[in-house]
Amino acid sequence: MLSFIYYIREFLRPKWITTFFTARTPPLTTPPYFRDFPELTDKECTHCLACMMICPAPEAIIVTQHEGVWRPEITKGHCIRCGLCIEACPEDVLASGRILAYKKEEELTLQGTFHIEINQSTCMGCGNCSVACPVNREIDPALRSSGTSTSDEVIMRIDTGQNKVLHEEKCTGCKTCEDNCSNKAIRVARVVEALQGGEE
Amino acid sequence: MDIKDVPCPFCGCLCDDVKIQIEDNRITGVENCCTLGNAKFLSKSRLQHPIMRKDGKWVEVSYEEAIDETARILSDAVRPLLYGWSGTVGEAQVVGVHLAEEIGALIDSTTSVCHNPSILAIQEVGHPGCTLGQVKNRADLVIYWGCNPIEAHPRHMSRYTTYADGYFIDNTATDRKVIVVDIRRSDGAKVADEFIQVKPGGDYLVLSALRAMVRGKSDVVPDSVAGVKKVQLQRVADLMMKAKFGAVFFGLGVTMSRGKYKNVRNAIELVSELNRKTKFTISAMRGHFNVYGFNEVLTWMAGYPFAVDFSRGIAFYNPGETSVIDLLEKKEPDACLVVASDPGAHFPKSTIEHIAAIPTVQIDPCVNATTALCQVQIPVAITGIESAGTAYRMDGVPIRMKKVLETDFPTDQEILERIVTRIREMRADG
Repeated sequence: MLSFIYYIREFLRPKWITTFFTARTPPLTTPPYFRDFPELTDKECTHCLACMMICPAPEAIIVTQHEGVWRPEITKGHCIRCGLCIEACPEDVLASGRILAYKKEEELTLQGTFHIEINQSTCMGCGNCSVACPVNREIDPALRSSGTSTSDEVIMRIDTGQNKVLHEEKCTGCKTCEDNCSNKAIRVARVVEALQGGEE
Repeated sequence: MDIKDVPCPFCGCLCDDVKIQIEDNRITGVENCCTLGNAKFLSKSRLQHPIMRKDGKWVEVSYEEAIDETARILSDAVRPLLYGWSGTVGEAQVVGVHLAEEIGALIDSTTSVCHNPSILAIQEVGHPGCTLGQVKNRADLVIYWGCNPIEAHPRHMSRYTTYADGYFIDNTATDRKVIVVDIRRSDGAKVADEFIQVKPGGDYLVLSALRAMVRGKSDVVPDSVAGVKKVQLQRVADLMMKAKFGAVFFGLGVTMSRGKYKNVRNAIELVSELNRKTKFTISAMRGHFNVYGFNEVLTWMAGYPFAVDFSRGIAFYNPGETSVIDLLEKKEPDACLVVASDPGAHFPKSTIEHIAAIPTVQIDPCVNATTALCQVQIPVAITGIESAGTAYRMDGVPIRMKKVLETDFPTDQEILERIVTRIREMRADG
């Protein structure tokens, strides 16, 4: 209680108030490297979802359709202003600060793949992930109809009691497997490679 | 060499789509099988010879000597107990029931300590059940009550209920709802659309509340029932009534918690109530791969599904008196034969003490917790891998178990037949 009174007395001193409000500090300027929230350019969104897939902040960007037109929407509360969506967008639909300019200058492209990791100590081999996987379901009709894997062309299947990844390159990163794994034994991670100068 | 469509001899799911790779009479690969079944297919440790305790030490003996000793123990006994049976096939169980009748024994299976209350409830109010194929092809609502399929029946969801395509379900991913009811947030709860957390022992109350809601008497349900809010119960009741085909699966969380068979009876009556509005079924999540089979075998041979006492010369069934735990608790048996199960790992301490105090024989391929309680152990071929036979899936569908490996070990059936023959010889000798 005493300290509270002490603080009030301290802040009410005219000297303190004058110093606080008349401090001489340099004016605030936006540095050139500042990344603001992404803004829409006038380019047309092709609904490729590259921005959503690269975004590290959950639900910061979603691509939605309004009156037949697709466009990304930013939730400012979730966006961490990393600028990766601007770099990833092949159509230059988004812009922020100088990002779009140096992306063009450096001919920067981002190539994304997905890496699937199975925790061998927790995977029960229940098959929920491989049966739920939409890519697997397309490839192996037996797997989707009875949980019996008959093809080696699927992304993953149950072998020796656990889920084994066979064709990681076919993963589209939808994370259906993660959502349907009861004991968090499967994780899908984005692996992004940045290429400069128009390399392939 | 690859062998397709091998049934897995582990849990009641009895997945019959396992592919086994064999090289030099050894299993080198297992496909489509969960981690539990895989461990059984690839297990390496087993008992190589019959063993017997002599002067407090284990001694390797011949099969003849072990069978002689078993026959002597069983024929000398006044109140022998034959327990287990769920990990072997129907053909061996038949011989077991004959043996029980021959020596006037009490025969009981692992049912006694798992779905015993379910059977009592079914005997009272019937069983609105169906096969797992029906559930897979029709169910748009699956309810797991007091069970955790991910740990105990790993492929149940992906193969029979939730994820596999249904013939009458347009979109499995969106059209199927899963409800999990448990006292804690189990693994299965993570993939559920609705998770109901019941206070321990509160299943009966929650089932009664849902029954009232389905009957249209929501006003009698209080704001909270066994820790579950009324709004959630109403939501679940609505989901149940809106479903075109609902399937309830229940486990030991319902049967072996407070209320026991009354819980199951209430669950069955909820399902009956729902059947006035839509189509609903209820099934037990059976544990051992052929626990259902023993109930079938004993029912067609003795008229009752478990806990049958032949001491009067007729089949006498009175669970609570003739069930294994009650019997051991009263220290009645003076000899015990354990076949294809491991009571040493699961029974209460006081009953294990009695098993250890009386001459006990075990017929099992592996050394387990019961070995420590035995006088004799006779190793056998692993059923479903080294010997064929008939097993019943948890929904009552019989499946032919395959023999995929050659072995010199005798089967359960052979050993039991030799014991019966030896007992008959001993009795003929006077």
